[in-house]
Amino acid sequence: MNAYLSQVKAIVWKDFVTEFKTRELFSSMFVFAILVMLIFIFSINLSVVGANQVGPGILWVAILFAGTLGLNRSFTLEKENGCLQGLMLAPVDRSAIYFGKMLSNLSFLLIMETFLLPVFMIFFNVDIGSHLGPLLIVVFMGTLGFSALGTLLSSLSSNLKTREIMLPILLYPLIVPIAIGSVRMTGQILDGKSLADMMNWVGLILCFDIIFISVSIMTIDHILEE
Amino acid sequence: MSDASQKSDSPGYGLMGLTAATVLVALGAIFIYVPTERTEGVVQRIMYFHVPSAWIAFFAFFVVFLCSILFLWKKEREWDIYAHASAEIGIVFCSLVLITGPLWAKPIWGVWWVWDARLTSTLVLWLIYVAYLMLRAQSEAGSIRAKYAAVIGIVGFLDIPLIHFSVLWWRTFHPDPKFITTQGIGTGNETSMNITLIVALGAFTLLYFLLMGLRVRLERMKDEIDRIKKERLYSH
Repeated sequence: MNAYLSQVKAIVWKDFVTEFKTRELFSSMFVFAILVMLIFIFSINLSVVGANQVGPGILWVAILFAGTLGLNRSFTLEKENGCLQGLMLAPVDRSAIYFGKMLSNLSFLLIMETFLLPVFMIFFNVDIGSHLGPLLIVVFMGTLGFSALGTLLSSLSSNLKTREIMLPILLYPLIVPIAIGSVRMTGQILDGKSLADMMNWVGLILCFDIIFISVSIMTIDHILEE
Repeated sequence: MSDASQKSDSPGYGLMGLTAATVLVALGAIFIYVPTERTEGVVQRIMYFHVPSAWIAFFAFFVVFLCSILFLWKKEREWDIYAHASAEIGIVFCSLVLITGPLWAKPIWGVWWVWDARLTSTLVLWLIYVAYLMLRAQSEAGSIRAKYAAVIGIVGFLDIPLIHFSVLWWRTFHPDPKFITTQGIGTGNETSMNITLIVALGAFTLLYFLLMGLRVRLERMKDEIDRIKKERLYSH
């Protein structure tokens, strides 16, 4: 078990080192997320619709779109220098590669979100300070499900000719539960409700996370084969 | 290829005849036998196409799911062919649901489309399997394509209950299913309507199996042609 954990850690560490050296992924994801928010703010009239009604939706669209940028990069980068080949030749379990990539995707996205939430607070004039705890839980659960399924599909789409196009086409219909659930929960939290009032959504998102992490572990062997 | 295997490849004229007969009976029942619904009028007859199409779409996607699991387990080309054929048929019937639904909704609800739970989940389902077929079209033939498709076939089907509940809690105003209710099967409708619906369901199910047989046969022929082409190529 310890050996497995250190394998996962090594893959995450490798991704972080690459990111520290180049700094291209984080900055592009963050700027893109802000741009998505901006476009949405221009396309709706905030003086007519309340910020609390549209804000959560726009926040999550920005997160999911920016996250797709990161996912597209995740396995393409590995392919470029034959790094994936090296990873697969290494005596590690395939699921360790999956977990490593998933955790690095998840942490990049979470770091991006910690910078994005203050921007969201300023743009939409909402007070997130008083509901920070439940909000962070919701953001974490949603991002986990997105990264879990996203990493699996990214490993798959990186081998296709049209990878940048196919990843969102495959991923977006499948993450409908995450999109709806996270937006609903974020909206209710900003309205001052507690997590206990929305246990059905919490259960649904947790089910999503658990089901797709397990499916990924079971099927990753077939995707990372040659 | 021997005669025996060729015979087993053909869809069978028995099934074709039976399907044709059942479809005719179903059409007769829908347009002649069953009385016109009192409040909704003649447009209600679209139900006998709408509901069976929905049933076949879900059934077809379930077959994709099963065949995908069997493929990843046994690695036999056969299961990949079945999954592919079933997904294509599923998309056809799912499209029919999405077309007949608005046609029915416009006179009854007054709008073509509402963001109701069942409509939304059917649309999402359609998008998932369109992506599945696109993935198949994008990747080159071979075991890699089959594996990728199988993974999407499994992930997509497991997602259906989650999508269903998420859009259900989002909002809904579709009429509750009348045919299968909590009181049992067929208590919500008139008897003649139930009979017609059952016949229509039977006809659509037979049609599904007939189309499956034809599509699988086509795919096997493609494999055969590829094999012969390769043989010729290497023999010269």
